[in-house]
Amino acid sequence: MSATVLERLERLPRRNLTVLALRGISSLVPGGWQNQTSAEELISDVLGSDDPELVQQVRARADQLSRARHEGYRRALSLYDAVNRSQKAAGGLRVLANVAGALPLVKRLAVLTPASQTLQAVDLSLKVAAEMLAFTQVNGLPGDSFAAFGDSLREYSGEARVRMAALVCFDALLPLGDNALQRLDDLLGQVGSRELHQLPSYAGMASLLPGRGDAAHLSFMRRGVDQWLGWADGFVGDLGLSGQRAVRALESTLGPWHGGMEQLATFLDAFTDTYSHTGVQAVARRLVERAAAEI
Amino acid sequence: MVGPSPSDQEPERVLFSLLRLNATSPSSCYQVGSRSNEPMSRSLRWGIGLLLIAGLLLGAFFLLPFRSWLPGGTVANIANREVVNGTLFNRLFPKPQAGEQLVFTQEKRGFSQARLKQGAEVRALLSISDVTSAPASRNKFIHTEERLQSWPLVDQGSQASALLVADRFQVKVIGQGNGLDAEQRHVLLEAFDLSALAALNPSPLQAPAIPAGREVLPPGKQAPLRQPLPGRQRQAPQAQSAQSLVPRPAANRKPSLFNRATAVLEPAA
Repeated sequence: MSATVLERLERLPRRNLTVLALRGISSLVPGGWQNQTSAEELISDVLGSDDPELVQQVRARADQLSRARHEGYRRALSLYDAVNRSQKAAGGLRVLANVAGALPLVKRLAVLTPASQTLQAVDLSLKVAAEMLAFTQVNGLPGDSFAAFGDSLREYSGEARVRMAALVCFDALLPLGDNALQRLDDLLGQVGSRELHQLPSYAGMASLLPGRGDAAHLSFMRRGVDQWLGWADGFVGDLGLSGQRAVRALESTLGPWHGGMEQLATFLDAFTDTYSHTGVQAVARRLVERAAAEI
Repeated sequence: MVGPSPSDQEPERVLFSLLRLNATSPSSCYQVGSRSNEPMSRSLRWGIGLLLIAGLLLGAFFLLPFRSWLPGGTVANIANREVVNGTLFNRLFPKPQAGEQLVFTQEKRGFSQARLKQGAEVRALLSISDVTSAPASRNKFIHTEERLQSWPLVDQGSQASALLVADRFQVKVIGQGNGLDAEQRHVLLEAFDLSALAALNPSPLQAPAIPAGREVLPPGKQAPLRQPLPGRQRQAPQAQSAQSLVPRPAANRKPSLFNRATAVLEPAA
């Protein structure tokens, strides 16, 4: 029996590299970010009361909901975990390659590691696809029409602002440069199934993506990214995000960085798990909102 | 008997002939066994057969998508078809006033939730849920005296108000941000389309649509048709119809504390 969503929430770190990186990025986003790791606090925040009996009831209901397989709360978490694991694996390989590039005997290892920009673009679009799949797992298809569904998505991305800012900065602006969003579609156009299979996250997610075969998955990812780009462009413009600002924000919490932006992105990929950290928090909030309404 | 002697047969051939035991010529197989000194004993044959069957069953169980049939897939193990789909709840939410916006956030089987926003600020979480999958949530309504449009009303904590409609649907308003007072929450609860919501419940007290006549049973169990005997007085038709209006417990619901408490929870209309 694996852990329920609220248990996962309580196991999140309170202070480590991930939290510091998120805190740094959150200085760019109005409203800020609070590292919510206590289930009781989250419940009383949603419920507007800290009556221990009510909190206990909500918690019991939330655990019951997250144990039901068809409800999809835990499936969303496993999606985030799959993406996170492969991001760490790929990041770790690139860190190794960076180190190995300096050693004469193992220099050739650096040539083998996938670090090209197309792969980075595929990685980003996989994350966006995972985000959309997880959204439908957690929330269903809310509303009576497509417009209502769109509203719901916008509402979600507003709520998960720091999460989206981290995604845009760490996976688009830092590794691909400031015009990453404009180039993304071109880059994805160059992707074939060979590049797709070089990514470990694809193997983990292929069965969860709709459609059969690499071509169908690629077109799903491109369509998902198209939708997301429309929103992300506005988001970047509103907040004035750029690679330079992201580096400066990160330096405020992580300390000075003397490398390039790409290396910073590699470092963050390998040593932080911002994606699943904020993912657990977002899913836990939606779950508690439902449990509070059902008790 | 044709074919090579069993001693120079390969093991595959022996197994093959064993598998054809029932299909083609059982006698030849037995002859093969009886002519040599028993290449495969009867118990071994049975053992292999049982192993094959067990392997197939286990394989089917783990490889085919039977997992969805296992318990634990749905909330409280209640079948999805017994829970009203959340899609039906969406149109019953209150219409937003000027300057407000209603954003649907979750829609699952038996549950639908929306946020009432004013500008960028979330004022309240509005939701409708089917209590079939959360029977314990009905308990809080049993002892309440408060009524809203004749449905029982309960305040939970300082920010939540809940209404139980038709003994089945829980409508709840939870104040967010700066919060709402009880009066504002009750106004919001009244703005839901409560009568349409009550109509979603297949009422347990409804008279059967088909007049209760002779029950159709499987052949053999059918009671004999009672022809009125010439000497006997016929029953009054009024009595017959009055009897059919006696409330019957809903067939799909287990008798529970709540069915017994129905009389208390029904609206006083």
